[in-house]
Amino acid sequence: MAAHKFFGAIRNLRIRTVTSQWLWTVGLTATLLVLPFIIRLDGRQHMDWLQFVGRFHPSLVHLPIGMLVLLPVLELAGMTRLGLRDAAGFVLTLALATGAVTGVVGIFLAYGSGIVGATVTRHMWGGILLLIELLVCVAARPAWVSGQGQRIYPALLAISLLTLTWTAHQGGSLTHGSDYLTRYAPGPLKRLFPPAASDSAYVGSVYARHIHPILDAKCVGCHGASKEHAELRLDFYEFLMKGGKDGAVIAARNPDRSLLLQRVTLSPTDKHFMPAEGRTPLTADEVAALRAWILAGASPSATSIPGIATAAENMDLPLQPVGDYSNLMNEIHQMQVSEGAKLVAVSATPSDGLILRTIDVASKFDDAQLARFQQFAPFIVEAELGHTAVGDDCLDTLSKFTNLRALHLEGTSVTGRSLGKLSSLSQLTYLNLSGTKVTSDALAPLKGMPILRHVYLFDTPAEATSPATNNTLGSAQ
Amino acid sequence: MKQHPLCTDCENPMTPLDLPIPGAAKREWAAIETRRRFLGRSGKVLGWAALAGLFGELGIRTYARGADIKVSSPEGRDDLGLPHFAPKAKRAIYLFMSGGPPQMDLFDYKPNLAAQFNEDMPDSVRGNQQLTGMTSGQAHFPVAPSHWPFRQHGKTGTWVSDLLPYSARMVDDLTIIKTTNTDAINHEPAIMLMNTGNMNAGKPCLGAWLAYGLGSMNDNLPTFIVLQTKTNPKENNQPVSSRLWGSGFLSSEYAGVGLRSGADPVLYLADPSGVDRDVRRKMLDTVEEINRQTLAEVGDPETNARIAQYEMAFRMQSSVPELVDLSKEPPSTWDLYGPEAKQPGTYAYNCLLARRMAERGVRFTQIYKRGWDVHGDVVGTLPVLCQETDRGTYALVTDLKRRGLLDDTLVIWAGEFGRTVYSQGGLTQDNYGRDHHPRCFTTWMTGGGVRPGITYGETDDYSYNVVKDPVHVRDFNATILHCLGIDHNRFIYKFQGLDQKLTSPVPAFVVQGLLA
Repeated sequence: MAAHKFFGAIRNLRIRTVTSQWLWTVGLTATLLVLPFIIRLDGRQHMDWLQFVGRFHPSLVHLPIGMLVLLPVLELAGMTRLGLRDAAGFVLTLALATGAVTGVVGIFLAYGSGIVGATVTRHMWGGILLLIELLVCVAARPAWVSGQGQRIYPALLAISLLTLTWTAHQGGSLTHGSDYLTRYAPGPLKRLFPPAASDSAYVGSVYARHIHPILDAKCVGCHGASKEHAELRLDFYEFLMKGGKDGAVIAARNPDRSLLLQRVTLSPTDKHFMPAEGRTPLTADEVAALRAWILAGASPSATSIPGIATAAENMDLPLQPVGDYSNLMNEIHQMQVSEGAKLVAVSATPSDGLILRTIDVASKFDDAQLARFQQFAPFIVEAELGHTAVGDDCLDTLSKFTNLRALHLEGTSVTGRSLGKLSSLSQLTYLNLSGTKVTSDALAPLKGMPILRHVYLFDTPAEATSPATNNTLGSAQ
Repeated sequence: MKQHPLCTDCENPMTPLDLPIPGAAKREWAAIETRRRFLGRSGKVLGWAALAGLFGELGIRTYARGADIKVSSPEGRDDLGLPHFAPKAKRAIYLFMSGGPPQMDLFDYKPNLAAQFNEDMPDSVRGNQQLTGMTSGQAHFPVAPSHWPFRQHGKTGTWVSDLLPYSARMVDDLTIIKTTNTDAINHEPAIMLMNTGNMNAGKPCLGAWLAYGLGSMNDNLPTFIVLQTKTNPKENNQPVSSRLWGSGFLSSEYAGVGLRSGADPVLYLADPSGVDRDVRRKMLDTVEEINRQTLAEVGDPETNARIAQYEMAFRMQSSVPELVDLSKEPPSTWDLYGPEAKQPGTYAYNCLLARRMAERGVRFTQIYKRGWDVHGDVVGTLPVLCQETDRGTYALVTDLKRRGLLDDTLVIWAGEFGRTVYSQGGLTQDNYGRDHHPRCFTTWMTGGGVRPGITYGETDDYSYNVVKDPVHVRDFNATILHCLGIDHNRFIYKFQGLDQKLTSPVPAFVVQGLLA
């Protein structure tokens, strides 16, 4: 009788405990879900102590991660050794507790440092989701241990581990940069992860060639798509001009009133000096370039600006990467053996492309042979056809070499009557027609090619009509 | 104890411990020379020697096989992963002004010096510098201002001496470095440092490194060619030796091929009468067969170099006569280079050849012009030197530019050091001499990879010390390599346990301010 009473009390107690545990779970879940709306990440810096505590987040976080990874091992081993199963329960609770602390510290970090951005948001919600899953795990585990609800807990645990992986990756992207894992991946693997979009809308301008690279190297790490310190992004021209929470950072034609320039030229010991936190400061040349650009009106499309003009005039466009030809090495080698002309790598980086080199077989290299290189057309960035036997028909083939940057046709029988076919070559910057029979009339179609800046016409009928020493069309325009 | 038969004092045998040597050395001797240690070490040494014997043969065989492939495909430098990045310049032409041109008489304009004529240069400028034996005994160091006026030229308004009327026309294309500096104050170490990155002999020169690293662009001409200018007996000609274009520890096929300055650029290049091409070919095939047997037996990579050089010589039999045949040059060439360019061995002729080689895919051409060592009679000899070189240099750069070759050719003009502002020997109103000066000298580059129309660096009022932006020889060489797509820190060759580099083990830096 007494025993019956006792067991009844136990059962009641357990039911009551289970119920209150679920109540706790729901309550904490609700708190976690509401938390980001109470502590809003507003892109402003807050009290220093928040950041001080917050900066322990990246090290603390490894504690719950380690325990969570350990957990399935303990559960599996617990099937044969009951002691380990008991330990697993403890480890789960501990993981939840340390995870909660880490999460709070993480929010301190984000709130205190004023960081915002898509990756930050994803990382934060990932962490919250993970904590909720763990709460449910804690609540669901006793049933699984006692043999009821066979599937719920293992499934939840698996989901938690997936969430953990994804969240940890977001966090890693924040600290190491989003291309940290893929930057040195082997070629085929790399293609699965295309690089993030860059500001390519203004190809060839001073902004694209001088200003954007400075910002990209020195600023975008904190003021970019993944982190938006002070609500400021500098990775696109539009964002740069929009400014951040302190208003516009660029005052066109007024460098001294441009916040961006002020911040990078403060004393490095100043609290507001940028780049912050000991990152590499801008060099004097970079500051000078920024100043000159702002003074000239901070235009995104201007192609020449006094002050940085000397460098700009001779600055070639950044090389557009071509595809990877590594898989074609056998064909390339065979081509070399059968045709005598060579396909030479521009550099050790395959995306820099290939040079078609004909010098050893120049006198025999004709249009038909050139046509056989068409299969490599997308990879050829420079065609050295000087003093070869090619004629006007070669332009048909060459018009398919869409990544061609430099074309040597000096000393060939090209007459230039079909030079218009080259207009499909949007990357062409160099064209050597010296010693051909090209006339100035034949050159007319080239005028529509804005980046074709180096055209050589020495010893041609067209030479007399262009400046004697510098035969560039660019200067003639 | 058994005594050595030659030992005279059998009672008290001498040991190193009895010698009058420092106690530390005695202790070391006592520590190492025990019988047990000796036997133990010998055993290990024998074991290692046996192991090396086993593996060595394997290693040689592997090496010889790898070398075989290299002969069949001269392009095969892919194994080095070069160029490290897309280069701006494919080839380079180095105009070497051996002897040390006086920078303050050519490019480094110091208008303040005229007022200080014959005044002693302040000691503070010289500091504690050790001078050469030629002027260290001088009681006075009288300032010798340049004898020639300077004028501003081009859109950039660069000051150039009247001695260089032709070079003055192209200042807008030049990247002038006023602050090149070196460690050596005498010719041989300085010229070695400039060319090989090291004052001691045995290191490969810039051209050999490039030949090794970038390979040939043309099967029929050497990758690296050296042109000597005929000496002028009126000038003070310091000797230049072939180790300046040697390959050092690299295979000798990468050494520079010198073309003679006479009418016959390569002696005995033509086949002797009665020997036609087929016979020559058969002979070479047989020689190659024998060389390959030697290679298989001995495994010396130098045998490979010999095979490659026989083949190159055979191909040069047709390519060199075509290279030096100037009959098809248009009249505009002679208008530009001047009539001197028709005489083999002149500087202008060599400049014209350099342009023809650039067209034909020679990777690196170096022209040596001796005689710049003007210790005395600057006023008498410097105009001769400038007159000999100025037009040719200008013609080469202009010719490359109008033919579209300057976009991917780097042209370098440099000596091994500069000269002192103070006069060596007597200073008169009409004449002066100048001693060697390593602390600053003017060089220039132009073409692929460098920023045209700039003057880099500043020297003090006496053109004696660098005030701003020094460019050490190592940095100069690192920058040249950069223009050719090479990261000097990654371009290494393991030799004598060291990662050997052109820029030596001392840190060197690419001078970003010179780059386009």
